[in-house]
Amino acid sequence: MSSDSVYKAVLLDHFHNPRNKGDVDGMEMVRRGSNPRCGDEIDVGISCADKVLKSVRFRGRGCSICLASASIMSECATGMGIQQARQLIVKMQQWFSDSHDDSPPSEQVAALGSLRQHPARKKCVLLAWMALNEGLNGIEEQNG
Amino acid sequence: MEKALPEAISPPPRGQVDFDVIRGDFPIFANSREPLHYLDSAASSHKPGCVIDSISNCYSRYYGPVHRGLYPLAESASEHYEASRQTIAHFINAQSSDQVVFTRSATEAINLVASGWAGRHLQRGDEIWVSQMEHHSNFLPWQRICRHRGARLRIIPLDSGGQLDLENAEGIFGTKSRLIAITQVSNVLGVINPIEQIVERAKQHAIPVLVDAAQSVGHMPVDVQKLDCDFLVASAHKMCGPTGIGFLYGNPQRLAETEPLLLGGGMVDEVKIDSSSWAEIPARFEAGSPDLSGAVGFAAAVEYLLGIGMQAIEQRLRELTVHAYQTLLDIDGTTLYGPENAGNRSGIISFNIDDIHPHDVAHIAAEQGVAIRAGHHCCQPLMQQLGVSSTARASFNIYNNEQDIAALGRAIEEAKRVLRG
Repeated sequence: MSSDSVYKAVLLDHFHNPRNKGDVDGMEMVRRGSNPRCGDEIDVGISCADKVLKSVRFRGRGCSICLASASIMSECATGMGIQQARQLIVKMQQWFSDSHDDSPPSEQVAALGSLRQHPARKKCVLLAWMALNEGLNGIEEQNG
Repeated sequence: MEKALPEAISPPPRGQVDFDVIRGDFPIFANSREPLHYLDSAASSHKPGCVIDSISNCYSRYYGPVHRGLYPLAESASEHYEASRQTIAHFINAQSSDQVVFTRSATEAINLVASGWAGRHLQRGDEIWVSQMEHHSNFLPWQRICRHRGARLRIIPLDSGGQLDLENAEGIFGTKSRLIAITQVSNVLGVINPIEQIVERAKQHAIPVLVDAAQSVGHMPVDVQKLDCDFLVASAHKMCGPTGIGFLYGNPQRLAETEPLLLGGGMVDEVKIDSSSWAEIPARFEAGSPDLSGAVGFAAAVEYLLGIGMQAIEQRLRELTVHAYQTLLDIDGTTLYGPENAGNRSGIISFNIDDIHPHDVAHIAAEQGVAIRAGHHCCQPLMQQLGVSSTARASFNIYNNEQDIAALGRAIEEAKRVLRG
């Protein structure tokens, strides 16, 4: 099985069996990422304790890549400190902006790398990550 | 000065057109390393070798500044440019080549009319009518000019089959209506609109009609005298011509009522410190150095299409559309948008597959060598009416064949297999 096929299998697994997908009502902070160009909308919910993301969940609609990326994001971010999560978001953006930077920010997100050759899908990949970023901003504003 | 045109170009008799040979005229297919099933011609079409060669010949044999020099090379450049204009004028059966203004695109042509004609004539309370199916390029310029002038943008609704519902467009032919801007063929639904009937009724009330012919010119016979429209716009790149050039057709009265959009070199008669006067039509609308190679390539595309015959092209696109429509209909879980009657449809089919995002359909199709479009197709008001945020779209041109449609069917089945698990 080629690495492309492995990555595709990982993404499809996240699409068919999304982690942390469902209700976000009642979570500490909920922020929406939306892409009016294709109608995709992802709500990301975060609950924190002691500046650690205890729970990251999402709900919404989107293409398989958008939803698989949201699922991967929720798995990665859960248990991270707020600053650590912010750093990962920045690295994800860089990874999708710089075609020369081939090393993935973490093993958990490596499968998304197969989409770096499709610039048109960048926004699909990053939608949930940007909503997470907004949510972290909201939490920090809330905590002063 | 008005120039009389020679008799209409009669295409060489070709008998039965062999569309396998036609496909061979387009080098992109032979040059593609992977199989290429290009079903995105409504976005932009491919170019036959003769068009590509005409552009190369222009630069290597007779290129020079248009309408600016007195030496032979410049005169030759000007002659080729004006001959290209004549070819386009013939193609749409304009009475004179002076009625054809070269623009950068259909989009620019609409903006020219919105700014230069509607901007001068609209009063507070007036109405401009467009339809729910318009491309953003035939929507946004009107939205803005209406806002600036205190006028109202009115929308012709669609019926459930995607056809114009003129009966429910109350006031379209009323006293406040100043212009109707309507597409001849929808870039999403493929529906062919009854332009002649709309113009006929509009004329009874002296309401000008602009026709967005971006998806119709080059795909079916289009005759501006038969349509009797006031303005008509199109782009070369959707009809086998080069990118970066299109045209505005206007009847003499309407063009005379229109102010130029761009000011600058080549469009003036006399410039003084405190006032200036414009050159004759159409030069007054073509500020800046004209796009000679674009015009020449555009004319080469038109001559190529005329060589095949517009009726043969229309017939071929209809056959492909009927076949593709049935292929998609036979796939479980497809929703097809627009008219069911192929006779009222050009070579465009928008569709969705149950529970599969159109971007996923297009992505998986791409992996099978099938190029289709997915998105809102620059028609967000129409998407709102259809109740979807996006659709997949297959569109056809003369180089497409039955294998392309079969590949589309296989690609959709593959998308279903992969994404439904």
